[in-house]
Amino acid sequence: MIELKDVTVSVGHAVLLAPVSASISPGDALVIRGRNGTGKSTLLKVLTGITSPTSGSALIGGDLVTSRDRRMSREVAAMIGLPPMAPDLTIADHVLLVATTWFDDPKAADGLAHDIVDELELAHLAARFPHELSSGQTQLFALALVLARPFDMLILDEPEQRLDPEHVDTVIRVLSTRRDRGVTLVIATHSERLADAIADHTLWLGEAA
Amino acid sequence: MTARTSAVVRIWRSRQPRTRADHAYVVYLLAMVALVLVVPVIRAIAMTLTSPYGITVLTSPSAPDATMLAVAGLWAGMLLMGRVRGPALRPPFLAHALAASDMSRMDSFRGPLLRGGLIVVSLVTAVAAAIGASLAVSGQTTLGSATLFAVAGVCVGVVAVVAWLAGQALPRTAAVLAPVLFTIAALTTQVSALHPYTPWGWVSLAYPSAAPGFASLLPLVALTLAAIAAVPTLMDLLSHSGLIAQSTRWEAASSRVAGMELSDAVSIYGAVPRVGRQWAAISSTTHRTWVFLRRDAVGAARTPIRLAVGVLAMMAAGGLLALSLNPEMPNGVLGAAASVILFAALGPLTDGIRHAASVAGDLPLYGIGDGSLIAHHSLFPLTLTVVVLVASSLIVALLIGHSALAAGVAALVLGLMTLAARVSGAMKGPLPPALLAPVPTPVGDLGAAARLAWALDGLLLTAAAGASVTLIAASPFPALIVGVTIGGLVLWRWRHRR
Repeated sequence: MIELKDVTVSVGHAVLLAPVSASISPGDALVIRGRNGTGKSTLLKVLTGITSPTSGSALIGGDLVTSRDRRMSREVAAMIGLPPMAPDLTIADHVLLVATTWFDDPKAADGLAHDIVDELELAHLAARFPHELSSGQTQLFALALVLARPFDMLILDEPEQRLDPEHVDTVIRVLSTRRDRGVTLVIATHSERLADAIADHTLWLGEAA
Repeated sequence: MTARTSAVVRIWRSRQPRTRADHAYVVYLLAMVALVLVVPVIRAIAMTLTSPYGITVLTSPSAPDATMLAVAGLWAGMLLMGRVRGPALRPPFLAHALAASDMSRMDSFRGPLLRGGLIVVSLVTAVAAAIGASLAVSGQTTLGSATLFAVAGVCVGVVAVVAWLAGQALPRTAAVLAPVLFTIAALTTQVSALHPYTPWGWVSLAYPSAAPGFASLLPLVALTLAAIAAVPTLMDLLSHSGLIAQSTRWEAASSRVAGMELSDAVSIYGAVPRVGRQWAAISSTTHRTWVFLRRDAVGAARTPIRLAVGVLAMMAAGGLLALSLNPEMPNGVLGAAASVILFAALGPLTDGIRHAASVAGDLPLYGIGDGSLIAHHSLFPLTLTVVVLVASSLIVALLIGHSALAAGVAALVLGLMTLAARVSGAMKGPLPPALLAPVPTPVGDLGAAARLAWALDGLLLTAAAGASVTLIAASPFPALIVGVTIGGLVLWRWRHRR
């Protein structure tokens, strides 16, 4: 359960996020919409504990959000911008390493890593290094890193960025599968198609400043 | 430069017109740098060269051979440098506008080539002239012989500039040619009968002596003229994409240096992996220690030359550290030099630590804590440090008859402190805004010095660590103080990692 109660974020006199309240039940998909600068990414940063609200509160499972809380780290997978990538590892190495750190059973890690790479249609790029990917391929790779682990809630900032329409469909398929498995989704997007395909609820943000 | 190129460059420069005050400030800066830095350095070099020790070195029988290797090394080095930063370089947009036009490369990029070339030729000629003048002043050679060597210096400089351009125009060929050239030079140095037939041999035959080697200068001049004749062809071989790539990287690195983010600037020119993509870097095991050891070892091996250079540098650091413990040596200086080499050697071995530090400042990615992640990524460089640094230090200590125990302890302590300095550097983050403020003092603004100290803190602390471990047998306190300082910095940066 996610609860946002009159959350605002300001820096000096600049309002980055105007007051917003929402409540999302487990397994629901919330899509955050709004023009550039309305605070979509800021709201996701509040939900992941990167940014503290200036006023109001953000609760996940009844607890205040802090990014370094172990339980939060276990339950929430998030991508706001590209995650750090190691230049000396291939795409397959990256995904398998992330999975290996989350599972005690090496077979489970190996299986999940292969599934994710296949699901995001990255198998033909598995032996490439990050600097050998196009921007769209990098976006899919970043998604693979975030998905290669167990989680109950998935927070993504514009997952459709840099992708062609076919790959946007791939992302929609992947996210729909997670939603059907009971994962709570919070997605900020500019894509009408993505929003229509996965949203149970839509939160429109107005002008922040 | 054609009228069109001149017009383009004029428009480019007019976007930020410099006032008379700007020009005066540049003149002031140059004068101050010359006064504070250049003049004392030149004076120190001149005093060293004309000292009895300097003259002994310059007149030793091996001096001409060393000159050969230095010349071949310079040409090989310039070939390699051209691959990453050639002389024909302009700012990215200007490079794009000129390279995409129908103007020839010679017209478009002659200016930067001449400016860069002038600097290289001046420096090489200055070195040759300084050697010749020192020997002439001390009566070891004639003025004519010294002058001939200075002319040889001009030739070596010009060939070096053309090699620099060749590296930019033909990067793949240069990568092969440079080591071949240096290897041949190293081999032919040993065979004096071949000296009249090799370019570096011509330079060694022109080395100032009692009898001027005028004859050897003729083929060297011919080589120089041939090199100059090749310039238009090499310029035409400069590709549009290559020019833009070098220009973009240079501008990015320059802006990082201006922001004192030196490690970021270096990483822009870092080798990217192209081999070993099929090697299994991640093992299917529950032993996390083994997972990260193997991951970092395979990752490092994917840039094999970089790894080999790192390991060799670590061996050199270990040897130098053992030498620094000899009471007859300048202990502190050698210890600091060993630690600086070790700090550089750890660069290729600590990619995992830098990745872990960037993850620690971001959203959780791995299923283990940030501290554990950094600790696991420290295992590979720590293992290599213990094995390579300590072993090389022990071997050299045994060879020179010094205490192996003292050398081993010093190497271990220095290895740990240098690795900690690397961890601290990985968590450094951007320049704190507070350091941008001026620091007015009676002797001027020390803000730039503070920023430089921040940028080089890892290197400075490591140098202090190196100097302190040479005293460890007499007193452990200097090493303890430096160790606590580095440890404190690691903890502070850990707490402020986001």
